[in-house]
Amino acid sequence: MNIAPPRSLGGRILVAIAAVVVLLILISAGSWLWLKTTQPIVSDPPPGLLSVLTEPIPDGPNADLIRRGRYLTIAGDCASCHTSRNGRPFQGGLGLQTPFGIIYSANLTSDRENGIGAWTPEQFFRALHDGVAPGGKHLYPALPYPHFTIVSRSETDAILAYLKTVPAVHYAQPANRFPFPLNIRASLIGWDALEFSPHSFHANPAMSPQWNRGAYLVEGLGHCGACHTPKSILGAEIHDQAYRGAAIENWVAPDLTANPRTGLGRWSAADIVQYLRSGRNAHANASGLMGEVVAYSTSLMSDTDLSAIATYLKSLPPSPSHPSPAPEASAMRTGSAIFFDGCTACHLGGGRGQPGMFPPLQGSSVAQQNDPTGVIRLILAGTRTAPTRTRPSFQSMPSFAWKLSDQEVADVATYVRNSWGNRAPPVDAHEVAAIRSKLNLTHPLTRDQR
Amino acid sequence: MAKGPGHKVNRRELLALSAAIGTAGAAEALSRHDGLLGGPSRRYTNTLPWEDGLTDAPDAADAGGWHYLNDGEVGFLTAAVDRLIPPDPTGPSASEAGVVVFLDRQLAGDYGNGAHFFLEGPWQEGTESQGYQSRFTPAQFYRHSITAIEQAVGRSEKGKAFKDVPADKQDALLKQMESGDLKLEGPITSKAFFTMFLQNVLEGYFSDPIYGGNKDGAAWKMIGFPGAHYDYSEWVTAYNKPVPGEPVGLRGRPAWERG
Repeated sequence: MNIAPPRSLGGRILVAIAAVVVLLILISAGSWLWLKTTQPIVSDPPPGLLSVLTEPIPDGPNADLIRRGRYLTIAGDCASCHTSRNGRPFQGGLGLQTPFGIIYSANLTSDRENGIGAWTPEQFFRALHDGVAPGGKHLYPALPYPHFTIVSRSETDAILAYLKTVPAVHYAQPANRFPFPLNIRASLIGWDALEFSPHSFHANPAMSPQWNRGAYLVEGLGHCGACHTPKSILGAEIHDQAYRGAAIENWVAPDLTANPRTGLGRWSAADIVQYLRSGRNAHANASGLMGEVVAYSTSLMSDTDLSAIATYLKSLPPSPSHPSPAPEASAMRTGSAIFFDGCTACHLGGGRGQPGMFPPLQGSSVAQQNDPTGVIRLILAGTRTAPTRTRPSFQSMPSFAWKLSDQEVADVATYVRNSWGNRAPPVDAHEVAAIRSKLNLTHPLTRDQR
Repeated sequence: MAKGPGHKVNRRELLALSAAIGTAGAAEALSRHDGLLGGPSRRYTNTLPWEDGLTDAPDAADAGGWHYLNDGEVGFLTAAVDRLIPPDPTGPSASEAGVVVFLDRQLAGDYGNGAHFFLEGPWQEGTESQGYQSRFTPAQFYRHSITAIEQAVGRSEKGKAFKDVPADKQDALLKQMESGDLKLEGPITSKAFFTMFLQNVLEGYFSDPIYGGNKDGAAWKMIGFPGAHYDYSEWVTAYNKPVPGEPVGLRGRPAWERG
């Protein structure tokens, strides 16, 4: 079945209205699914993935094309989503949690039946540019085709040429778990009508070539906005809030604008390059989902491209500062005691941290995101930084879920978010309880056991 | 070591001993959750596994009830630990600090089961420096020892239990155990029991409160130990000054709680 997206204005409006009504009904069901299916994050690298991404490609007839294709595949961070925890590189099958259900990533290996082995360059371009797979099958925007649409045809050709060299894995990913009618792919016609129109990249002549290169990478293959831009109720990026940070899979993808408190305002372009190359800088360490981005994408990119990305990100106008209610004195008092006992070993008094090893909390944008999800998650579950070629050792923060009650997590988070010049909304114990439940983490010891 | 007639118990001696013995009880309990004790060997290549939220959490003592000890043993131990560490103005007695609870939880767990001991034969009498030599797990060892001690006490004290004899007599009996002069029926010597018992009492008195002893960090407050701080680098240059604040256990301290 090959359904062409309606392009007439009347058709678009009708389909859009229908889509909104249906999706609004499904929001609550979607939230429920999200809560029920969250898996623990495991940061062990899938076996063999890094070597597939880094081993020299031997000389041959198409070597230059294939090398370019692999670099672009890296720039698009295809590996992070298209490789499951114990799967072979690019075999797909990783379950992505979305507010609407679970979607399993596709097999991108050269397998002709399940992978892209039989795809033509035209079909591959249509998938990335239009969001439509062979046979007219509409793709879910978990594949960030709203970003990939600007990737040029010569680049999609190179990516496909590389993927066809990835050893075939005869594996079909599980069926997506979406409620009706989202499980009907035709429902995506409505989504596309509302939220998406294929387009190409147009350089801004007023800006430098470096800035334009950065814009092309960030907006296109890098698809940074897929996590860092707040989403509408339909799961589409809200363009006038681009890069202002958003919660995703019980993390927060921080604000990337020039906001000095929540964004990259205090980071230099060199800081950004260092972070993307090594996973660490004087301000922050990359872990969780961003750790995967650094490990399998940015740490393997050229410094020229990383500098271009930094130039573009540094040009983003600051997000507005939100008013933040003053924290309760009692929360600050208990939070201070917990911080002194539990956090100063690594983060030191005054939240000074040990830059490059343990991130400073004073001035930390991660700590000061308006949405406290990321801070709560870090305290409850801990995290481990991504290893990179330049910083190959792991840094880890332990889980405090067994030790701190919801109120104690809330208070120490409130303290960190409102000390040493930091300012961010106080954290409530109920917010901690909700994330503890979503992460399926243990309840803390009781007071009797203290 | 026990307080004899005309001899004030010397807390300094206890403290010196405790420093030498360290926190074997605490380390023992922690090792339970690493999956290595008694489990199959595992091999890691490339990286060590990591899972967010997974913790090697200590095995906290729960509140209420006895898990291993019977009433007679609780009576003996409560009386005996309080002769080793009686209450005084500087700190609580051992039983007030929860040492009997600590002993009970340890004997009910891996320590009591001898999970880290080689318990197969041959059972020969070892030298002094070879430490604990017994076919018994520590839990069995306590049970057999206390039974044999109470039998010996009953013979010499007209059928009374240890807890019911006067304090000075209890001290004399403990001294006999320390020297091995108290003769017991069966394979256990009173000296071997006293050695393990004293060590466990010190462990319980100074353990992290999470394991049942050292209630409210009282023993740590007594000696000015700041508790389970991970790192002291901020105070390294503050010579001869106490570390500020009340001691903190693995599970925190009162200042963590909303007043």
